[in-house]
Amino acid sequence: MNVYVCVGSSCHLKGSYKIIELMKENIEKNNLEDKVSLSAAFCLGKCTTGVTIKVDDEIVCGVSPENFSEIFRKYIIERV
Amino acid sequence: MNNLCTDIGFNSINKKGEQLCGDHVEIVEQNENSFVLVLADGLGSGVKACILSTLTSKIISTMMANNLSIEDCVATIAATLPVCEKRGIAYSTFTIIRINNNSEAEIIQYDNPHVIMLRGGMNYEYPRTGMDIEGKTIYKSKLQLEKNDVFIAMSDGAIYAGVGKTLNFGWQRDSIIDFMVGNYDKKMSAKGISQLLLDECNTLYGGEPGDDTTIAAIKIRQRIPMNLMIGPPSNPGDLKKMQTLFFAKEGKHIVCGGTTSKLAAEYLGKPVVPCLDYIDPEIPPIAKIEGVDLVTEGVVTMTKVLEYANEYLDGTISISDLSIRKDGASRIAQLLFEEATDISFYVGRAINPAHQNPKLPINFNIKMQLIDEISRKLKEMGKNINVSYF
Repeated sequence: MNVYVCVGSSCHLKGSYKIIELMKENIEKNNLEDKVSLSAAFCLGKCTTGVTIKVDDEIVCGVSPENFSEIFRKYIIERV
Repeated sequence: MNNLCTDIGFNSINKKGEQLCGDHVEIVEQNENSFVLVLADGLGSGVKACILSTLTSKIISTMMANNLSIEDCVATIAATLPVCEKRGIAYSTFTIIRINNNSEAEIIQYDNPHVIMLRGGMNYEYPRTGMDIEGKTIYKSKLQLEKNDVFIAMSDGAIYAGVGKTLNFGWQRDSIIDFMVGNYDKKMSAKGISQLLLDECNTLYGGEPGDDTTIAAIKIRQRIPMNLMIGPPSNPGDLKKMQTLFFAKEGKHIVCGGTTSKLAAEYLGKPVVPCLDYIDPEIPPIAKIEGVDLVTEGVVTMTKVLEYANEYLDGTISISDLSIRKDGASRIAQLLFEEATDISFYVGRAINPAHQNPKLPINFNIKMQLIDEISRKLKEMGKNINVSYF
């Protein structure tokens, strides 16, 4: 599974750094290193509703530290 | 016109307890390739010295730039400078370096420590002819320039560094030459050279300078062009033209902005590979495109570059501070502040609709102002700047 976190200007200002840290942490915690490939992406075109991530071909907007665990479970854990 | 250009940098420290510097450096450009630099050291310190050195350097540089003879300059200064009440003399020492068409240097010195010249990283003793003007002995030299020649002019604060503290007799000119030869780095800018020497003087003084100390460095460099593209054109039909012009230019290529780099990658037929490393949490990660020397995010990174430019100019950070950092803004800063001599900006004026959101601290006007500001700071660093809008 390929997961991309947008690091474009808007998403960066809305906290991409924090989301990448959380992603790395949670992938490790759930032993998903072999199954999930994490990368950064330049602008995914959803600037007003960042932080935006892309899970394979699906775009997920509005990711924040608050809803992170829910999103991580729904889009990543349940799908791998 | 040849392929050489001149890089100038100077810095001063004040005598302990003084708010004004008694040394003054004045540069007058005659044209793009010719200028006159004057370093003057006024008698005494504080306000009086400051007035003497400012008058001396302003008068000489203006007169020399208008092709008046050195004899006339000296006579004018002697007649103009206010006479010191305590000492009964009007006095300011000076060093003049005049560069003609980036091919010839003329050095005229009066009572300052003699200019140190490095050629190929080694000390080069240039011929000096003494002459007497109004009872003062003035040394004149004329020589042809070569690539990487370095001229270092200084006020006597440099050779008095450490007197009675770390060194008994101060820092002799020969020892300064050894220090500069030992620390010679072909890539170092004029500003880097002057800062290096001045820092060493300050250290020898134990951070409490006994005299105003000024170092002015001139470095003859080969022109190094650099190109930076930011933003897509306001008219999408101009995209091809903008990209063709940009990539056809000689020198390194920097691409800033998410959309801009995507378009550049399409033009080159290569993928954009963003890096995941957030080296500095404040600065978005860089990306890679084969055929582009550096790919970064746009506005946030450039805002940081402007911040670095301000800090670099006021001496809070040095090029070595920037070179150890690997984030996008520090990399751009290094390429623009240190490596480049001629910088061309390709600025696209398309408005990113996603950025026109009142909740976001970035908008179109900020982006345009940013480039203006950065160009101005780079000009202050002595770079040739060319900005094209699309």
